[in-house]
Amino acid sequence: MARISLQHVSKSFGGEQGPWAVKDFCLEIEDGELIVFVGPSGCGKSTTLRMIAGLDEATSGAIVIGGRNVTGLPPKDRNVAMVFQNYALYPQKTVYDNMAFGLHVRGEDKQEIDRRVRAAAASLDLEALLDRKPRQLSGGQMQRVALGRALVRDPDVFLLDEPLSNLDAKLRVKMREEIATLHARLRATMIFVTHDQVEAMTLGDRIVIMRDGVIQQAGKPLELYDTPANTFVAGFIGSPEMNLIDGQLIDEGGRMAVRSGDLTISIPERTFTTNEGTVTLGIRPEHLVIADGSPFEMTVSLVEQIGAQTYLMGMIAGHRMRAVFDRRDGIRSGDKVPIAFPKERLHLFASASGATLRMSEADVKEYS
Amino acid sequence: MAQDWRIVTLFIGSILVLGAIIGGPLVYAIMLSFYSAKSFVGELQWVGLANYAKAIQDPLFWQSFANGLMIALSAIFLQVVLGVGIALVLNRRFFGQSVVRAVSILPYFLPTVVACLIAQWILDPNYGLLKSLLASFGIGIADWSSQAFTARGTIVLVSVWLWTPFVVTCVLAGLQTIPTQLYEAARVDGAGPWRQFWHITLPGLRSVLVVVILLRGIWMFNKFDLIWLLTKGGPLNQTETLPTLAYRKSFLEFNLGGGAAVATISFLILAGVMLIYLRLFPIDDTKQER
Ligand SMILES: Nc1ncnc2c1ncn2[C@@H]1O[C@H](COP(=O)(O)OP(=O)(O)O)[C@@H](O)[C@H]1O
Ligand SMILES: [Mg+2]
Repeated sequence: MARISLQHVSKSFGGEQGPWAVKDFCLEIEDGELIVFVGPSGCGKSTTLRMIAGLDEATSGAIVIGGRNVTGLPPKDRNVAMVFQNYALYPQKTVYDNMAFGLHVRGEDKQEIDRRVRAAAASLDLEALLDRKPRQLSGGQMQRVALGRALVRDPDVFLLDEPLSNLDAKLRVKMREEIATLHARLRATMIFVTHDQVEAMTLGDRIVIMRDGVIQQAGKPLELYDTPANTFVAGFIGSPEMNLIDGQLIDEGGRMAVRSGDLTISIPERTFTTNEGTVTLGIRPEHLVIADGSPFEMTVSLVEQIGAQTYLMGMIAGHRMRAVFDRRDGIRSGDKVPIAFPKERLHLFASASGATLRMSEADVKEYS
Repeated sequence: MAQDWRIVTLFIGSILVLGAIIGGPLVYAIMLSFYSAKSFVGELQWVGLANYAKAIQDPLFWQSFANGLMIALSAIFLQVVLGVGIALVLNRRFFGQSVVRAVSILPYFLPTVVACLIAQWILDPNYGLLKSLLASFGIGIADWSSQAFTARGTIVLVSVWLWTPFVVTCVLAGLQTIPTQLYEAARVDGAGPWRQFWHITLPGLRSVLVVVILLRGIWMFNKFDLIWLLTKGGPLNQTETLPTLAYRKSFLEFNLGGGAAVATISFLILAGVMLIYLRLFPIDDTKQER
């Protein structure tokens, strides 16, 4: 078990000039934490993980694991274990030998290897499969063997690169729970890579959102949901996506509001910096409310009933928006529904940079 | 379904043609082995198994069998070891890789006759390249073709030179099918280069090697042209193999029946060995487990 410190880590596959697959990555990971790297495909998640494992060499920066600078060390000297997306099980070895290999290579004695392999097999429900070869296993079973192979090593850090992506939806949820249980039991430091925001939200103690090799925001799942640092994070976390409306910040007799075409929405005081002219207003679909007498009406174009909730899509004053409510029967496409924008649920971003205009708590105090 | 009859006709036609081309001579050779015949046009005289009895009572037959086995095994061993080694080197990324890969296949294109002439030109004891090279250092060489060891060695070396590229090409193709993530998993598990080779590369090349050894085995055991061009079985039958013996009997001693008997036994031995080999090492190793 160990802390990990990533200090200004960068990686370019084309030398010092770039392009950068990962740029100036800084992060402190606590002992026993489950960190999730999330972002669209090609944003540098795997590359970062591989640099921590020692499979790729960092172009610059330092990687410290458990107080030891491991930057130049080969994978075998870092005491990390990795689970690959397509499992990477040794095809000619049995399940038992796949799990035993890492211990065997490190010269553990036979009895100790046997004890640890059987313990891992028991905890992952693999005991009946120990004599099988990988090709005789289902996807979920292969994934559990890959986990077992990491488990027996008792590493300082577990690195998991999209371990659930090749599984079908149902199995994915089940394995997600298994990994969460495993982490709760081991309290080991784990880094979990995924492109799926639901996996990230449900698994992570903390989430790191990446885009084009650069960290966009790192924080607890609900922090990212409540206070996204920019429009990218705002759109990435939460489903359906946050509604974003480009507009102008205007002063309406001392009260600030955002105007976009026919739509004027007033924003809360002492929450956002207001010296930016062109802004993007954001509100999550689930935060819109139905309020009789509201000046805004949604002309519904699509109604989706998913059981507990009702999803609406439609136009509000010329802007296409989504809304999510607790189940409501009887709304049809073509209906007009009065909608309100609760002030305390609004987000505001600078249009040019996409960065949030929300003031930090210190700023808020100073301002008042 | 209107084309059915055409497919059937083509199918039957090609079976007949193939049967005539491959099966005809085979049947004729086997048939000849039961007769006494001095030439292809002369009178045939039924002798039953006499040709076979004579063949296996002849010490030269067994010596030829042993020679052939020894030459084939050492040639295959060297071809496979060198072939895998060279393929591993060529599989690494380096400057000019594709050029070197292309050049390395060239010996395979060389006609056997040309290769043998080049070998003789290098090794000739009187005017060869090697001789003049060594002479400039004051070293003399003996005639390679006058001693059993050097004669067999020359045959093996020329065959290695000619056919190792075939092994290299097959192994290179096999290496591409091994997922790189396996090597990465092994590196994280702590395996060094030797263990990676032993636990990942070699098992990954298994099917390719089984086929390559099978093919090279058949070709080497049946090799005639190379041996005939280099040594004609000499010195004193030390490089005589079953194919050269069959040729010698048929065409130099005008004993067609005897030659055919040797060829037939050789064919049966090879078929038997290959069946056992494929039993022991199935090409598809899933069959081995169940
Ligand atoms: N071996 C490589 N050589 C060159 N470019 C690479 C290599 N591996 C990854 N990249 C590039 O680095 C970027 C990040 O890739 P990766 O870390 O695999 O993304 P992710 O895992 O987030 O999908 C991508 O633009 C990818 O094309
Ligand atoms: Mg990836």
